[in-house]
Amino acid sequence: MSVSLELKDIVQEYPRPDGKGVTRVCDKISLKFDQPGINMLLGPSGCGKSTILRMMGGVRPIGVRTPTTGTVLIDGKACDGAHDDAAMVFQRYANRPDLTVWDNVYFPFRMKLWKKKVSKAEAEKRVKEVLAAVGLPDKDDLLPAQLSGGQNQRVALARALVLRPRILLMDEPFSALDAQIRQEMQQLLVKLHEMQPCLVVFVTHDVTEALTLGDRVITLSTQPARVADDFQITEPRPRSGIWARSTEAVKMEERILNLLHAASPGMGQVRVTV
Amino acid sequence: MTDDRSLWNPYTPLSPGQRRGLGFGAVLFLLLLWGAAAALALVGPNKLPAPWKVAEAFVYLAWDAENQRSLLLTATLWSVGRILAAFVLTLAVGIPIGVMMGASPKINAVLSPLIDPFRSAPVVALLPIMVMWFGIGESMKVVFLFIGAVVYLIPMVRDAMQAVPQSHWISARDLGATPWEAVRLAVLPMAMPRIADGVIVATSVMWTYITVAEYVNAREGLGQLIQNARRFSAMDQVFAGIIVIIALALITYQLMQFIKRRLYPWETQQ
Ligand SMILES: Nc1ncnc2c1ncn2[C@@H]1O[C@H](COP(=O)(O)OP(=O)(O)OP(=O)(O)O)[C@@H](O)[C@H]1O
Ligand SMILES: [Mg+2]
Repeated sequence: MSVSLELKDIVQEYPRPDGKGVTRVCDKISLKFDQPGINMLLGPSGCGKSTILRMMGGVRPIGVRTPTTGTVLIDGKACDGAHDDAAMVFQRYANRPDLTVWDNVYFPFRMKLWKKKVSKAEAEKRVKEVLAAVGLPDKDDLLPAQLSGGQNQRVALARALVLRPRILLMDEPFSALDAQIRQEMQQLLVKLHEMQPCLVVFVTHDVTEALTLGDRVITLSTQPARVADDFQITEPRPRSGIWARSTEAVKMEERILNLLHAASPGMGQVRVTV
Repeated sequence: MTDDRSLWNPYTPLSPGQRRGLGFGAVLFLLLLWGAAAALALVGPNKLPAPWKVAEAFVYLAWDAENQRSLLLTATLWSVGRILAAFVLTLAVGIPIGVMMGASPKINAVLSPLIDPFRSAPVVALLPIMVMWFGIGESMKVVFLFIGAVVYLIPMVRDAMQAVPQSHWISARDLGATPWEAVRLAVLPMAMPRIADGVIVATSVMWTYITVAEYVNAREGLGQLIQNARRFSAMDQVFAGIIVIIALALITYQLMQFIKRRLYPWETQQ
């Protein structure tokens, strides 16, 4: 599996709500990913993490040009607009309440784009496999309302993985879950990533999560976001509690926390993200 | 525990038995009041026939032994037939138009000034126009019912589509759906329960218009039956006819609610 994803001098500006001028959210961000590893993206609230992630996925917000300037390159080719190399998983699992677990995961294959690429038989085989892989066999006929939060997030993850994406984009996927379920989901992601390696970009605000999962940890500064820090973690996964308490890990944690605190001096940083 | 059984607690769940008991009691009370008024001759029998007279009329209409026929059954079949025809037409026209209006603000901007005003317009006043355009036959009656119902259905379908959270559209787009696919595969299915509510309301509207539709030159039908009875001052038959229409409308409503719950069990679980 080879894949390369590059952001080149990305600037993103959004019009102010009052219509007067623009707010610069991202300021000349350049990042390159060329390993099928897990990359963690951290940054203060509202700094533009989701904006960047959606840009990577080729998803454009309505009525705004993204990026304002700069390029997103996949395998060295500039990509403008939607592409199907990436799949996304969000904090609020977007499972359809009217569809069963099976139908939720099968859902993308009802679209022209995927119908052309994947035969029905192949799609059904994949759905079955991925449901087993995320630990949801024999739940095919249940509705999302009959599942727990963790199980719902497994469905959302399955729906992304069933497309066999080369790039998996995750926006705080586990942050709405209880601590214990979140740990289970992290372990699941590690396992799935070993089975089906792909380039993961994972947005989180949880430093521990970043250190548990990441091959690489990128920290952004506050608005306008710039790359404030970018380092690798070589410790193999799964990472033990002993490693988490090691000087190396503790230093990394402090390094990130310092940046995040420096970015948000005092209070009044409350922002609502849609 | 506080007094949660108080009258003014909107959240007290009522057992089905309690609910039915109270409702039945209210109907019974009204019947008693009606019976008392008739027995004491408070209102003249040509204005308010006694309930037992209405019951007699009902029995006669249901089975006329002398002529070996059921006026009520024939009339009901005719009226139901007209409503069924108008129902199919209303759905076939109303749902696609409402869906398109709900899916596209542009289409909505074009069509809503042409459709929304009719919701508050006196559709009954259109009857003479219907007669001029479609004559006095069956098509006029069906078209009248259709117009009366579709002007309710279209805005309700549109509103149902617009009430679906944008996130469903966006997440379908994220997965690679074309804009129309996102509407068809994500927004429309999510709007279905509310669209079904619209269909139920539109059908109720048709039951209220059936007597008007059958006002002009109907040989058969519940509306015609009532007309006819009125012409002969058979007040008991007028009442029986009205009660039958109310009952049929209620049965239709309950049946459609039942089907809706079966089709969209997930709606209440959200
Ligand atoms: N479509 C849009 N139009 C205008 N402003 C937007 C739009 N999308 C995002 N913003 C603004 O851009 C900024 C960055 O938003 P973004 O969602 O990328 O932040 P984030 O880092 O993901 O935040 P959080 O940690 O809260 O999820 C916010 O101030 C937000 O209000
Ligand atoms: Mg975000």
